Amino acid sequence: MTEALATPPQKQLAADKTSLITGSEAIAVACKLADVDVITAYPIRPYDTVMQYVAKLVSNGELDCEYIVAESEHSQFEIVKHASAVGARVFCGSSGVGWMYAFEALTVTPALRIPMVAMVGNRALDDPGAFGVEHNDALAVRDLGWQLVWVDSAQEALDTALIAYRVAEDRRIFLPCAISCDGAFLTHSQALVKVPSQEKVKAFLPRYDRGDLLLHPDNPITVAPQVNEDWLMEIRRQTAAAMDRSPAVIREAYADFERIFGRSYGNPFFEEYQTEDADVVLVGMGTLSNPVRVAIRQMRQEGKKVGFVRVRWFRPFAAEELAATLGRFKAVGVIDRDFSLGSPYRSGVLATEVRAAMYPAPNRPPIVGFICGLGGREVTVPAVREMTESVYLAAEGTTQPGTKWIGLRE
Amino acid sequence: MNAFLAPNDYKSPLKPIWCPGCGDYGVLQALYRALSAVGRPPHEIAFISGIGCSSRIPGYTTAYGFNTLHGRALPIAQGVKLANPDLLVIVAGGDGDGFSIGGGHVPHVIRRNVDLTYLVMDNQVYGLTKGQLSPTSPRGLKTVTSPMGSLEQPINPLLTVLAYGAGFVAQATPADMPGMTALIEEAIRYPGFSFVNIQSPCITFGEEDQQLKAHKARMKPLASLGHDPANQLAALDLARAYGTELYTGVFYRNPSPPPTYDALVRQRQVELQKGEPRSRSRVLDGYLKA
Ligand SMILES: Cc1ncc(C[n+]2csc(CCOP(=O)(O)OP(=O)(O)O)c2C)c(N)n1
Ligand code: SF4
Ligand SMILES: [Mg+2]
Repeated sequence: MTEALATPPQKQLAADKTSLITGSEAIAVACKLADVDVITAYPIRPYDTVMQYVAKLVSNGELDCEYIVAESEHSQFEIVKHASAVGARVFCGSSGVGWMYAFEALTVTPALRIPMVAMVGNRALDDPGAFGVEHNDALAVRDLGWQLVWVDSAQEALDTALIAYRVAEDRRIFLPCAISCDGAFLTHSQALVKVPSQEKVKAFLPRYDRGDLLLHPDNPITVAPQVNEDWLMEIRRQTAAAMDRSPAVIREAYADFERIFGRSYGNPFFEEYQTEDADVVLVGMGTLSNPVRVAIRQMRQEGKKVGFVRVRWFRPFAAEELAATLGRFKAVGVIDRDFSLGSPYRSGVLATEVRAAMYPAPNRPPIVGFICGLGGREVTVPAVREMTESVYLAAEGTTQPGTKWIGLRE
Repeated sequence: MNAFLAPNDYKSPLKPIWCPGCGDYGVLQALYRALSAVGRPPHEIAFISGIGCSSRIPGYTTAYGFNTLHGRALPIAQGVKLANPDLLVIVAGGDGDGFSIGGGHVPHVIRRNVDLTYLVMDNQVYGLTKGQLSPTSPRGLKTVTSPMGSLEQPINPLLTVLAYGAGFVAQATPADMPGMTALIEEAIRYPGFSFVNIQSPCITFGEEDQQLKAHKARMKPLASLGHDPANQLAALDLARAYGTELYTGVFYRNPSPPPTYDALVRQRQVELQKGEPRSRSRVLDGYLKA
């Protein structure tokens, strides 16, 4: 697919414009740039901000798409799923229990090989009620064939949405992709964002071509047939194979992104911060990167060599690469903004995955899990320092590599 | 029976956080009065709601309350009623909660005829999520999700509920407090599923012609039209005017209410055991031990 793209050299393309926008607005702008055909919506905080920006773009005439406000998330996700099957580029999104209410549709979307792009404005699952960020909503689909990516800035939200279309709609993949944006911290915070020109986006993102899987009278196929034990396992294997191809396609997309937009994200799968000489590192996803970076700068002034690895792509999970990177340090602390009750070592989801990734690695430093910032509670700089202390203790072998809840009233 | 309970006995110490001027304040006051008139003590009342501004209402009463999930109040209320049929079960929520995300439950609770009172605070908008289109929003309504005006025909809650076969259907507005109080009381007393569509204005996101002042000018009591609430066909005909006319009062009251689901379940238990119905303490004991 990449080879087929005739890309004019970058300087001939119109320049970026800088806008002060929120993470949610950045996603809406990406929908406009990607010229999405069908968008469905159903309000729930904090995702609802995206649908409102989209509605504005539609009514201003800036975005020519079918925009349907459904009667619930279940219908919302069903509508776009089938629009995608007939060849439309689609966008959808939700938060917290809204995402969970769509779960039946979410489970079948990868199996039907629908390249839906969705935004999850991460939110705690009610009850008890909370609007704040927690990652369990998006993580709930982690086993089903959704590609999952976490971003930590409005710029990254916009760019990643474009990359998500490129990857999801690649014929080798045809799997949905959800972009997670931390509720409030990213969805509602403004930042200066370089909005690329339509021309550049055109050069980067080909038309969605459903090809042989297009549901059309000229191409009579059955979507979602009843296959039972005769074929289900083969279909699962095909979906798995598509996910296995995803890392290479993601790499290609980021390489092309850099070539066309002139902005680089380095390693697509995870970002390293001050890791070169680090003794210990923290690992996490989403906007907790901000307090972590501040704390690291403080601690470095005090002579502590601490680094940070921010995981972007959770599915596919870059296990070997991450294990090789983390093997360089004396100890690793994984910060989860989620929980996985009853899991090994009572950890969060990310810590459990990191441990699994490390097992076959030649160097296996001790791993401490932290659960922090649930329900929108702030991950503070002192909290990061406290976690780092524990990681140092683990490096010295004085603490058991278990799980600690940080910033908790006890 | 209990000693006299004043409206204030149903008032919880929690202060409502609705916007000043929200119609839901009036609904709450009318509810206190209606509950006092019915006279069941708060601990014998279960008040179930979904999610929305309106769904906050149980917390402002001294009854047992369950502020459930968006759209799920009706099935949860049915569970409560069937587990403990002696409770007075009231369900409340918004037009969105009841007629979009939770709309699938409405026909089934009605055809089962579970003895519940369902109060929908219909403000033609999603209030809590800050003013998006709701299923009862009039066509052409401009909101954050429909900046050029809604293209969709609204649901008619009165006609829908009547068509599903509800035995008691009424409409009220806080612009007529004594009328609304009497209707809520009557709905509670009706033996079977009862529904009151309350036109409760959203002062923050609602339209000018949906506010109390406009209601006062527009409302027409059905009684003044000579409507006979036993006449289901006439009720259906009048309900068609939802969205254009603001009729208040009882559209339909089944003159010979059929047995409720809870009564039928008890009867079945008696038949199966050829004796007394099983005491519900078994259910509760099991729960308490768990
Ligand atoms: C499954 C799910 N989807 C979405 C929401 C977000 N949400 C909360 S209240 C609401 C609509 C409220 O409108 P309505 O029911 O009319 O009540 P009102 O606030 O107007 O009283 C929505 C969409 C949610 N809580 N749960
Ligand atoms: S937003 Fe509307 S419905 Fe909600 S409390 Fe305010 S006035 Fe009432
Ligand atoms: Mg409403």
